[in-house]
Amino acid sequence: MQVKNFLSFKTVLIFLIVLFLLVFNVFPMCYLVFKSFTGESGFTLEAFKRIYTHALNWNALRNTLLTAGLSMIFGVMIAFPLAWLVGRTDLYGKKFFRTLFVMTYMVPPYVGAMAWLRLLNPRVGTLNVWLADLFGLSQNLFNIYTIGGLVWVLTTFYYPYAFITISRAMEKMDPSLEEASKISGASPLKTVLTVTFPVMLPSIVAAGLLVFVSAASCYGIPSIIGAPGQIDTVTTRIIDYVYVGSQEGLSDATTLAVSLMIIANIVLYISTFICGKKQYITVSGKSTRPNIVELGRWRLPLTLLVSLFALIVVIIPFATVAMTSFTKNLGKALTLDNFTTRYWHILFTRKGILDTAKNSLISASVAATAGIIISCVMAWLLTRTRAKGRQIPDFLITLGSGTPSVVIALALIMTMSGRFGINIYNTLTIMIIAYMIKYLLMGMRTVVSAMSQIHPSLEEAALISGAKWQRGFWDVTLPLIAPSVVAGWFLIFMPSFYELTMSTLLYSTDTKTIGYELYNYQTYHSQQTASAIATGILLLVIIVNWLLNKLTKGEFSI
Amino acid sequence: MSSITLNNITKSYGNVQVIHEFSEIFQDKEFITLLGPSGCGKTTMLRMIAGFEKPTTGEIKIDNVTVSSPSKFVPPNERNIGMVFQSYAVWPHMNVFDNVAYPLKIQGVSRPEIKHRVENALESVHLSQYINRMPDELSGGQQQRVALGRALVSEPRVLLLDEPLSNLDAKLRESMRFEIKEVQRKFGITVVYVTHDQTEAMAMSDRIIVFNRGVVQQVDSPINIYRNPANQFVADFVGKINFLHGESSNGTITFSGGQSMSYSGDKLGSVVVAVRPENIFMTQDRGALRGTLTHSYYLGDENDCRVDFDGNIIRVISSGRSYGEIKAGSQVWLDFDEYLVFQDDGVDYTKILS
Ligand SMILES: Nc1ncnc2c1ncn2[C@@H]1O[C@H](COP(=O)(O)OP(=O)(O)O)[C@@H](O)[C@H]1O
Ligand SMILES: [Mg+2]
Repeated sequence: MQVKNFLSFKTVLIFLIVLFLLVFNVFPMCYLVFKSFTGESGFTLEAFKRIYTHALNWNALRNTLLTAGLSMIFGVMIAFPLAWLVGRTDLYGKKFFRTLFVMTYMVPPYVGAMAWLRLLNPRVGTLNVWLADLFGLSQNLFNIYTIGGLVWVLTTFYYPYAFITISRAMEKMDPSLEEASKISGASPLKTVLTVTFPVMLPSIVAAGLLVFVSAASCYGIPSIIGAPGQIDTVTTRIIDYVYVGSQEGLSDATTLAVSLMIIANIVLYISTFICGKKQYITVSGKSTRPNIVELGRWRLPLTLLVSLFALIVVIIPFATVAMTSFTKNLGKALTLDNFTTRYWHILFTRKGILDTAKNSLISASVAATAGIIISCVMAWLLTRTRAKGRQIPDFLITLGSGTPSVVIALALIMTMSGRFGINIYNTLTIMIIAYMIKYLLMGMRTVVSAMSQIHPSLEEAALISGAKWQRGFWDVTLPLIAPSVVAGWFLIFMPSFYELTMSTLLYSTDTKTIGYELYNYQTYHSQQTASAIATGILLLVIIVNWLLNKLTKGEFSI
Repeated sequence: MSSITLNNITKSYGNVQVIHEFSEIFQDKEFITLLGPSGCGKTTMLRMIAGFEKPTTGEIKIDNVTVSSPSKFVPPNERNIGMVFQSYAVWPHMNVFDNVAYPLKIQGVSRPEIKHRVENALESVHLSQYINRMPDELSGGQQQRVALGRALVSEPRVLLLDEPLSNLDAKLRESMRFEIKEVQRKFGITVVYVTHDQTEAMAMSDRIIVFNRGVVQQVDSPINIYRNPANQFVADFVGKINFLHGESSNGTITFSGGQSMSYSGDKLGSVVVAVRPENIFMTQDRGALRGTLTHSYYLGDENDCRVDFDGNIIRVISSGRSYGEIKAGSQVWLDFDEYLVFQDDGVDYTKILS
């Protein structure tokens, strides 16, 4: 009897999660696809024809594929050596570099766009001017408002995705594979090229594809950098169409969004089902300590090289944004005369900013809390039960996260504004749901991996000691997964808090978010105020990182 | 005070049957060992007694109270059983004291009483000086004793142990064997012990249950398991053995090589003669069967020899002191002191270990 009840309890849980995902994820996406392929008289490709007869849209599609493709290539070319140097060698300051690169992952990408805009503006960019002075050039070297500029910013802000994926795979790789190569007489470099790299290839491809999809779905960077240079991408076109507001605009946006979604889903399919399967073969289950390669006389030069990279890609942009927030006149250098705390004052007093910050805080907290509850339930279902159908929500959550933000938001607008009995448009609820669908996966992965490291016998030992399963969960499981639950919560909270793309589409006058507010200040009003907000977010990211490291005794890694 | 009754137990996962029908009564204070190659279903059996798995059919009673049957199921936390898991399952976030105290806390025992009983339990597993250590500051053997202390602290009716010594080194394993035996005697509990190590089973058990592929092969005392194995699998799995094929007729067994020996048993036709290496006497002057000594290995306490018997290699073990008395290549005579004859069913039992 008891066992029966228990089974139905699992079924109910799965059913509830699947129901949520069906209503807010699967149905809206399907509706979007359905809309784009139907006209007044059934199935038609009319919409696609119309969209792609505009040269503008063709260009946007080409720009998206080009910039995302180049970012993928450069991102992996940076991430692999970096992951190897930081993870597997005796480079100086490995821990510091690792923290720095992982932290970049948690920083909103549009901050990078803001910084590089200041640094590489073709006329007054700080770095441009400085370089021209240094080499006595008559002309500035770089122009950020180009495809090249876009690729540069996309690469420097999405390579951490590849870095983290590759690092994780490297940590899990069985070190005896490399030892076998060395004992056969191969040099460390030869070993990297003939064993480490090939064995890791599936993970590297997966990492590259992740960069590709993220860069292709990015809206913040192309809208801040592309707009002045009149470089359109699919995401900026979609949002332009939605802003047109007409029914036609909406249907054009839908068609473009479906194109983007198809690209993203193909990539997701390749990376989960083809690379994912292969990845499984290469790593051993044992948690062995990776062997550390001694760099010898290369140790110092390579450390300097990595430091230079960190300086250019992380420190300078972040410092630029921070400095901008203290600058009176952006045309001049930041001297004492030109220094002001006015914008920080605005940050903490202006009602518009405080209200939007509150909105973001509320919706991100709710999304993170609801998300982490689902994550815990999913972790339990996936690692502790053999309940039928437990893979279904897992699959749907993966699918949701792989879907570009613009697409999620657009699909929600189309279906959740009353046409099908649910009207949550213009509320915080629709934001929360959008955030959950996009960011749930990170939280879930964290909790699932923590849970799968707890041997079930630890819980059984509590049962046999006389504890009911609830008590055993409370005394044994929870304390052991708590750090991961907290980490998972922040991994949903942080990106939701500063989210821009979906918020841009879903906001109403009362539900503006801090990301949207920042974007508004950056593009229309005051770069300094935007920079103050961005610096605030940076500080928050640093604090959260520090907190997570403390909580997990330095073992926190994404 | 605590007996375990198993009635017609079977267990299937999907349509794979991992335990075939089995009935047995484990008596109070008995030390029962489930012995078999890995994957034969020992853990599954133990987990059914603990209540982590439900038998597909059949009934389990502890002290004549049904704990598992098609109509009734008592969950593990209400069975009052102590269990030591193969992986120890010592909670990494609790120190030794808290680990061992846990079952008592669940029972709501008073604090001073808990302290007293935990100290006693740690005393009996020789861990008193580690009471405040965290598990990751303990060696494998010490963690295993924490698990044992935790299993014993609430004075359970039944103690279940799943290969508790398999992760320890040989020396520690031997001393732990006696400690577990000691603890059982002291607390007077019924023990069900799972192992794939036959020496362990022989040394500790009152009765051994030999399993293969989910089928019980024999339930008997260690002596009977060794000297009167019920079939070729048991004979082969417990101890060392030679199997020689032959034909039995008219009171003689003729081996495949042509030599024969007299036989007074009742088996006829194709047979297998099973003889343990230490039950073969090897001399140079005379005997029943003839062979050639090919190798001889000095192991200290014994002299491990190989004899070519008309093309079949027979293993012979004699005392260590006899090493070197007979040169390799010499002709030798063999006498079988104690042997068994099985009907030959054509299966090679030296090759199928589950
Ligand atoms: N949860 C399960 N689902 C399916 N098969 C299982 C499960 N647990 C054990 N088995 C199978 O049952 C058989 C017996 O397993 P087990 O009792 O663990 O063996 P032992 O402890 O003797 O090594 C094995 O073949 C194993 O693969
Ligand atoms: Mg087992």
